[in-house]
Amino acid sequence: MSGRKILIVNLTRFGDLLQTGPTIAGLRAQEPDCHITVVVEKNFAEVCEGLPGIDRIWPIDLDALGRLLLQPAMNDLRAAYGTVEGWVKALRAERFDLALNYSSSRMSAVLLQLIGVSDTRGWTATADGFRVIAHQWARLFSAACLNRQQAPFNLVDYYKRVAGVSDGPRALRFEVPPSAHSRAAATLRAGGWDGQRPLIGFQLGASRVVRRWPSKHFIAVGRALEAQLGATLVLCGGKGERGIAEELAAGLGSQVVDLCGRTSIAELGGVLAHCDVLLTSDTGPMHMAVAVGTPVVALFFGPALPVDTGPYAPDHVCLHAPVACAPCDHNITCLDSFCRDVLEPAAVVEAICARRAEDWAGLERAAARWAGIAWYRTAVDREGLADLVRLGDRPPTRRDGLRRAYRALWKHVLDGTAMPPAGIPLAEDAAAARELVAVATAAATIAAQVQALVGTDDIAQLEDVAGRLELTDRRLFQLGQVHEALAILVQTFRFEKESLEGADLAALAAATRGFHEDLAARARCFVALLDPVPRHRELTREEKVHASCS
Amino acid sequence: MPSDVRQMPDVLAANLAALRSAAPAVAEAVGSAPPLLQAELLATRSGMPTLSLEGQPLHNLHDPVAEAERWAGEAVERLARETAVTAVVLGFGLGYHVEALARRWSGRIVVVEPDLALLHTACGVRDLQSLWSRVELMVSTLDDATIDDLGRHVLLRHGPSWLRGQGGLRELAERIAGRSTARQVRLSIVVISPLSGGSYPITGYCARALAALGHDVHVLDLAPFAAGAEALPHFAPSGAGRQTVDRAFSRFLSAGIRTAVERLAPDLVLGMAQAPIDAALLSELGSLGCVRAFWFVEDHRLFPYWRDVVGGYDYFGVIQRGAFFDEAAAHCPGRVLYLPLAADPMVHRPLELSAAEQQEFGSPVAFVGAGYRNRRVALRCLLESGLKIWGSEWGGALPVGPAVQRNGARVSTEDSVRIFNATTINLNLHSSTYVDGIEPRGDFVNPRTFELAACGAFQLVDERALLPALFRPGEEVITFNEVGALPALVREWQARPADRARIASAARRRVLAEHTYEHRMQTLLESICARETERFRSRPRAATTADVAALEGGSPLATFLNGLPPETPFTLDGVVGAMQGREGDLHEAEGIMLFLHQFDDLYVKEHRA
Repeated sequence: MSGRKILIVNLTRFGDLLQTGPTIAGLRAQEPDCHITVVVEKNFAEVCEGLPGIDRIWPIDLDALGRLLLQPAMNDLRAAYGTVEGWVKALRAERFDLALNYSSSRMSAVLLQLIGVSDTRGWTATADGFRVIAHQWARLFSAACLNRQQAPFNLVDYYKRVAGVSDGPRALRFEVPPSAHSRAAATLRAGGWDGQRPLIGFQLGASRVVRRWPSKHFIAVGRALEAQLGATLVLCGGKGERGIAEELAAGLGSQVVDLCGRTSIAELGGVLAHCDVLLTSDTGPMHMAVAVGTPVVALFFGPALPVDTGPYAPDHVCLHAPVACAPCDHNITCLDSFCRDVLEPAAVVEAICARRAEDWAGLERAAARWAGIAWYRTAVDREGLADLVRLGDRPPTRRDGLRRAYRALWKHVLDGTAMPPAGIPLAEDAAAARELVAVATAAATIAAQVQALVGTDDIAQLEDVAGRLELTDRRLFQLGQVHEALAILVQTFRFEKESLEGADLAALAAATRGFHEDLAARARCFVALLDPVPRHRELTREEKVHASCS
Repeated sequence: MPSDVRQMPDVLAANLAALRSAAPAVAEAVGSAPPLLQAELLATRSGMPTLSLEGQPLHNLHDPVAEAERWAGEAVERLARETAVTAVVLGFGLGYHVEALARRWSGRIVVVEPDLALLHTACGVRDLQSLWSRVELMVSTLDDATIDDLGRHVLLRHGPSWLRGQGGLRELAERIAGRSTARQVRLSIVVISPLSGGSYPITGYCARALAALGHDVHVLDLAPFAAGAEALPHFAPSGAGRQTVDRAFSRFLSAGIRTAVERLAPDLVLGMAQAPIDAALLSELGSLGCVRAFWFVEDHRLFPYWRDVVGGYDYFGVIQRGAFFDEAAAHCPGRVLYLPLAADPMVHRPLELSAAEQQEFGSPVAFVGAGYRNRRVALRCLLESGLKIWGSEWGGALPVGPAVQRNGARVSTEDSVRIFNATTINLNLHSSTYVDGIEPRGDFVNPRTFELAACGAFQLVDERALLPALFRPGEEVITFNEVGALPALVREWQARPADRARIASAARRRVLAEHTYEHRMQTLLESICARETERFRSRPRAATTADVAALEGGSPLATFLNGLPPETPFTLDGVVGAMQGREGDLHEAEGIMLFLHQFDDLYVKEHRA
């Protein structure tokens, strides 16, 4: 008997697709007979070809759809409609058993709703068109995206957990076709690399300027590497980076191979596989280097954070600019992106040289010297989840403590992992969490009253109690907004409540009560993780008022 | 230069005969007109005649034929470039350019020349017989159907005629350009309401009318801020403090309006009377690139604020004429338009009333409106006639107090329509703060006049200077010019039910034909489009959902589109906008349109911009 038919939708990003790899491989390992289809934008289909475990790549041509809509006359819009109608009908006809949507746009949510797979996880839409998030890990991921200061897990681990992959590969993997590998070698040789000198890759670009390290810094690093290692530098990037590449090439001298915009995706994998180290910001090629086994020194600044989108494999180096405004919003227009300069070229040179030499003690020393930068080594924790190990002697911050607490909390709540002892004491955050316990407990009590009244004739009483529950929920939401530490807990609860659908009032009431009880229980665990000293005390008068605002 | 060209009677007769066989009415008008009196006929060096008017020649003094050929060459290029089916030539002169165009172009040629004297003179000096069977000559006001029938056309000016502008040539050209452009474009329009007051409901009527005309309309509804405005005295009841607070609130509203307009990026902003738009904000809106229009549906004597803002508008609609109109026009850098009030037939309509409604709202005579002093005085004489008074601000209005219904509560629009329908004789007395009875200087016509007529209700209305141009007194409405005549009038018309019904029915027909808000908005837009043709060229009107549904036959898309208002533009914004507020499960077609809309938003819009 054949296994489940699984659909994975990850439409538009090169790096995200590579990050889907461990999930695909994990599913394949868990269910060797399953049939995996990946829907992907046509331009990125080549990425899928290097990901082991895919049975069918289903490319869709979003560029062509975009051209139809650019200046749409009546028939263009009809044609666009016909195109999407064709996709939907064909995908629906496949009768998938499981659909995993790893795109977070409303567009993909609507697409998943149209395809109509009964077990759909990630962003989808209700029958009447409201966007909802299906699956606990997907909700946690979305909540963490909105509150990234405490983002607890790497994106790849969310992907795996949403798919039900309990273990699976602990590193990205991309199989470079031998032909692409050979072409890459030939291209590097043709560019002047002798095959002997150390080869250091520079990934120049990023989708936005705020995520791009300044070219003058690349030049400074390049000169130092030439001087210290006699390295050849290979410049990677898309056509959009050609201008920067020319600027670098002019500033760096002869030991530069400029491949910006000159490689296919597979050839890029081949080029990176030849490199000793890739210096990069948080980009698709960073994930590609990790996936072909090349060490990276990754720079994180602006909106980029190593904890959630950093390299998914052990022993890579991440340098983060821990400025007060980090991580900024992805859509922000920053007028002074000084965080890029916090990552000083001299520190980066030390990181590259030490990582190339696998000199972890040297990296510890460098991290201690450059204390204005947060240095990390990627790792895997005891439960097989990606983690970051701080290098140097910088003491953990409150945010580090909150992140640790959140990791422990969610592993306990969602995976059943035993609760560890409390980490660094965070008394104020624990007090806020206690308040959350009180209000959530009160809300759970009211939700139980609602549940008891559903199905009775006492509509007036039901309306009254439901009104009280709404007021209490408002208080919960307010707590999540006021206390940074509680944001992910409360946001996850919000997503859970928003995901309720159906017309069975009794079932809805029971689920609502369950969500409130879960929130109270999670908040209690959170208190225990934040505060090493259990405190049994009476609620303050204000807390009582809040708790009884129902 | 020889000057011995003379009118030739036989040529005139032959030309008129040829014209008569092509367009008898035009030939009659041209033949009846006198020739130009102050024109000088000249022979050019090439021997062809030309005409000099007040020292300005209508054609080249050396070789008018060669000049016409050059003109026609450029015209044909333009006609081809714009794939026109009709050439509309503005100005006839002596016709050299029209002849040249007819030789070079095989499409339809329409010549607009309202100066009948010029045409008479031209027919007397040149043999134009062959031209009259080839071109269509239009000499008077063009109706909508004639303009719509032009199809895809290009307006070609004959320069000297245009400079002369005799007989309203420019107005005719504007009318053609305005009408045709307004039909071809779909504009994005923001209508800004006042916070409250009589012009507030008109905002909604205008918005609905503009949407019905096929435009993309967004109402900036400021009613939610009315409570804020009323609360301002809590900060400071009067004096300098109050002024400070008022100014701050005004700045707040201005910032809000500006932000909304910037976000919506409309082609046109239409402010309704009392909308909080000051000169500074107008300047900012202008810098955002939108056309600014205002409809001042107020009595200029009571609301002098128009002086502060008229200078900032591109188009300024008013309900009064005369010296006020001239003064407004003098201060407006754009254009001032006479736009009388109107009715919305969706709201103001004949109703089938239940017996209970008839009982509650009906009476032999009724008046709906606020208790201005002149009304309190005038209505006394009808207390014995079964009068009911509906509306607010009648407190302490002895002796008419007992006739006031619902303790003087405000009457909703829906209830006012019920009252109009239920009442045998509706009184309509324009308010006055100057006199006790009928305002002797009364000029504009109030909304109630149109609303009553649209309901098919019979009304007695006080005489207004501008009323006869809108309704025929005695046939569509019955007017009175002194309050003392009211009891007798009421008695007379109560005894004539058939005549009442005939008059009310005629009034309703007149409203539907000429006085709806759609008519007013059409007039406003035509006036705007006449001058903004180039600016709006990039806003072509999309096919409607009804068009596409017809093409799609029985497909799921057609089924879905047939469920939307038929005039919905078949664009992503149009279709998804029309889906707003829907309930129930998404159909596949709806989902696909939502998908496309989201895709457009995420990936396409930035490239389009």
